[in-house]
Amino acid sequence: MPPTTDLLQGTLDLLILQTLVAGPMHGWGVAQRIQQVSKDVLQIGQGSLYPALHRLEYKGWIRADWGNSENNRKAKFYSLTATGRKQLETELETWERLSGAVGLVLGRIPEAAS
Amino acid sequence: MMIELWTRLRYLFTRRKPEELDDELRFHLEQAVEARLAAGMSAEEARRQAMIEFGGVERTREQCYEQRPGWWMGTVLQDVRYGLRMMARSPGFTAIAVASLALGIGANTAIFTLAKSALMDALSVAHPNELRLLALVQGDPSEVPHDSWGNFYNDPQGRTIIASFSYRAYEQMRSRDHSLGDLFAFVDIDQFGHLSATIDGHAEVVTGELVSGNYFDGLGVRTVLGRPIEPADDGVPGAGAVAVISESFWERRFNRSPAVIGKTMDLNSTPITIVGVAPRGFTGATSVQTPQDMFLPLSMQPVILPREKGSLLSNPNIWWIQVMGRRQAGVPEGQARASLAVTLDQAVRATMTVDKDRTVPPLLLLPGNRGWSYPARELERPMPLLLALAGLVLLLACANVANLLLARSSSRQREISTRLALGAGKKRIVRQMLTESLMLSSLGGAAGLLLGYLGRNLLPHLLSSNWEATAVSTRFDWRVFLFTLTIALLTGLGFGIGPAWQATRSTVNNGLKDSGITVTHRRKGLAGKALVIFQVSLCMLLLVGAGLFVRTLVNLNAVDPGFTKTGLLLFGIDPPALRYPSPKNIEALRLLEERIGALPGVESSTVSKETLLGQSISNSDFIPEGQPRNSGSEQQALYNRVGQSFFQTMRIPILNGRSFDFRDTTTSPHVAIINRTLAQRDFAGRNPVGLTFRTEDPEDRYQIIGVCADAKYGWIRDEPPATFYLLYTQQKDLHRGMTFEVRTKGDPRSFIGAMRGTVDSVDKDLPMIDIRTQEEQIDSDLAPERSFAAVTSGFGILALVLASIGVYGVMASAVARRVNEIGVRMALGAQTNQVLWMVLREASWMAVIGIGAGLGAALLLTRFLGSMLFGLKPSDPLTLASAGLMLFTIAMLAGWIPARRAASIQPVQALRHE
Repeated sequence: MPPTTDLLQGTLDLLILQTLVAGPMHGWGVAQRIQQVSKDVLQIGQGSLYPALHRLEYKGWIRADWGNSENNRKAKFYSLTATGRKQLETELETWERLSGAVGLVLGRIPEAAS
Repeated sequence: MMIELWTRLRYLFTRRKPEELDDELRFHLEQAVEARLAAGMSAEEARRQAMIEFGGVERTREQCYEQRPGWWMGTVLQDVRYGLRMMARSPGFTAIAVASLALGIGANTAIFTLAKSALMDALSVAHPNELRLLALVQGDPSEVPHDSWGNFYNDPQGRTIIASFSYRAYEQMRSRDHSLGDLFAFVDIDQFGHLSATIDGHAEVVTGELVSGNYFDGLGVRTVLGRPIEPADDGVPGAGAVAVISESFWERRFNRSPAVIGKTMDLNSTPITIVGVAPRGFTGATSVQTPQDMFLPLSMQPVILPREKGSLLSNPNIWWIQVMGRRQAGVPEGQARASLAVTLDQAVRATMTVDKDRTVPPLLLLPGNRGWSYPARELERPMPLLLALAGLVLLLACANVANLLLARSSSRQREISTRLALGAGKKRIVRQMLTESLMLSSLGGAAGLLLGYLGRNLLPHLLSSNWEATAVSTRFDWRVFLFTLTIALLTGLGFGIGPAWQATRSTVNNGLKDSGITVTHRRKGLAGKALVIFQVSLCMLLLVGAGLFVRTLVNLNAVDPGFTKTGLLLFGIDPPALRYPSPKNIEALRLLEERIGALPGVESSTVSKETLLGQSISNSDFIPEGQPRNSGSEQQALYNRVGQSFFQTMRIPILNGRSFDFRDTTTSPHVAIINRTLAQRDFAGRNPVGLTFRTEDPEDRYQIIGVCADAKYGWIRDEPPATFYLLYTQQKDLHRGMTFEVRTKGDPRSFIGAMRGTVDSVDKDLPMIDIRTQEEQIDSDLAPERSFAAVTSGFGILALVLASIGVYGVMASAVARRVNEIGVRMALGAQTNQVLWMVLREASWMAVIGIGAGLGAALLLTRFLGSMLFGLKPSDPLTLASAGLMLFTIAMLAGWIPARRAASIQPVQALRHE
């Protein structure tokens, strides 16, 4: 498997928030979902995942509750808060603007005028 | 955003159970194992691969923990606790470091408190920075002649500045010129009279100001009870018999009773009604440090403090009041000054008869936020020097602590290397050491603050004489705390950065080795030695300064004043004008003279208007008749009105002619005695005895009956000026009283009781003012020099202590480093003496270089002190040599102890310590 690509802290937060839109999930589930959806490109190890989850929790963007997993083990489930949803929208906008700009500079996206 | 802040705040105070994270991670691992099992791996293989991919948990735990808000504070607390443990482990080091810092910071705090009091404390009025005090530069002999009463000071440019104006000139300026708004006037009564207040039968001397009707309005001060002085009170002279008292007087004499409004008291035998109480902290406009008990309208002067020449309010020739205004919006200060200068000129010419070629003294606008406050203004010149000296002492203390830290960091090498090896970031270690430094400097700062507080009255005490109220009092307020805090922080960072940075520069391997001989150590040794050389040179600088000031004081004390200063008792007598109109006051003084002279044990006694070496002089025109007039300042001379036995009592020899005697009465021709300087100036080559001269008063003619030897007059530093002496009994008027000089057989102070009895026999309501001996009077003239000598000596001693600690420390660690080398040498046959000499040689070259550098700095810097010294040049070789010698000896002594220890090392032990 290709090694985990280095992700900026902010980008990881964005990915986590987006993943949690679908519903409450535990840490392992979040990492699996991101890996699946990105077609195995983005592999988040526990060393990056849990500090990020805790950081988001301390900021009040996600909430944590203990619950039972699919295979009946005790797990900590995270879900988006209202603030988190709003924050997600903001981050998405920023991300689109940023990536668009980078794309323009790198010449990958044709300019609208031409 | 607010929610985020709130959440963070919430998490700041709640604690998470650490097991929660462990549970979470365990779940994650199990899921990973499950996933691999589901993919078909064996249980063992699944577990192994999952764990490899999982990675280390410790780092995750740490990072999760770091996400907590407030985590950062926790590490600071960790550093603080660690620092405390380190300090407790080496109490000797901590004590020396804190003590050094306390001394350095304490010295700075004390000087700063004085500087702040003298130069920064403002009057408690509205917008004090807008106030401007009108002042004049005095000294040009072509000035309009006038009688100037009041204090003066010399500004840093050496000009004589006074702030006295005539009342009529003030009225003109006020009505014609509004560039400083509505000008108001005031004067400190102590300058020209005494206020005696009788309240409910109890009499006491009080202080006060005479103020104009718009004074309180102009200052923006409102009374806390009753009403202030109003323009209606300052109208017809004598009509406004009212007073506003100060808050402290209200508390002292009336116990804050509200019934004080409307109460009547007797001021100099005149009934005055109290109409208001001024707010707390309002000290009048004269100075922040001299609180006034009460404020009276200027219009009351002719009634309460009458002068023979009529009301001062209508006399245009006597300049006696201070004038202030406020800066107006839209009027630049230069423009206001120019406008007022023109208005003053017009006012003078309108009110006085002035020759066309006479000029009015140049007008200045001084900042009025401190009031008139001439004693504080005099401190403006030496204050930067004192601050610089205190700064040097602090620098010395910092160098000391830096050296101690360097020495200690070399012994903490192993600890630091271990921490680095365990993964601590360099920044973290530097932060840890800086925290320790800041803790040291905070402790030092707290101790220094305490020292400064305890010693805050030392300096003002030195600066004032023991019979006068302290001229400059000090207040310890938040600005002093802020100053001390800032200094403590800066010093902590200053001496902490060097050792902290150095500590992390060494590589991990070197530190973990047991042996201490590496390249890095030798380099560190150099830093320590450089610091000590720096310390020694600073110490040399301070010692030279101290030596110069001490010798100046000694020289001044040894000056021959031209009269015999020992065995003289001085006190003032001021017969109140109401009960003693002229000539009754002169008669009273003469009677007193007689009775005192008749006392047993009194050799002789006399009076004089100006006390010799009392920092006060009178001057007048001196126009010899029958010869061409001098030009410029040589038309004037200083003079003193004295008693008949003045020259006999003061033991000033008469060189030519005769002294005053029984022939000179109130009705005989007016006579005078001139001193040698005046004789040589105006009568060179001729015998002045028998010649006549006139003063400003054209009807007054004096005949010279004798020439006396020169004697110092106002200040001991000045050469005896051209002076003439008149008999006070032949004068028409004496403003204020006279000073009695009594020469006693034996200790003058033991005669005070007898004097009081004699004064009581003449008038029991006549107080003796400012009782002191002539020597004490001279000491008070020397108060600035004495305080400087004391302060610089104190700093010099501090510097010696700190420098010797520095030398000792460096030598001790140098010896500790070279223990092997010494052991080898001794094993090879070196004698104890040779080892001693080897170590001492190192100390001596450090001392010599330091002394040399200090000498160079001293020669460069002390030349600015030239005007403050007396009787010696700033590059005085004796002072330089003795300072250098003393410092060298102390440095050698400090280095001798470790040298002795080095010499007593057993070779076997030394070689074992590998």
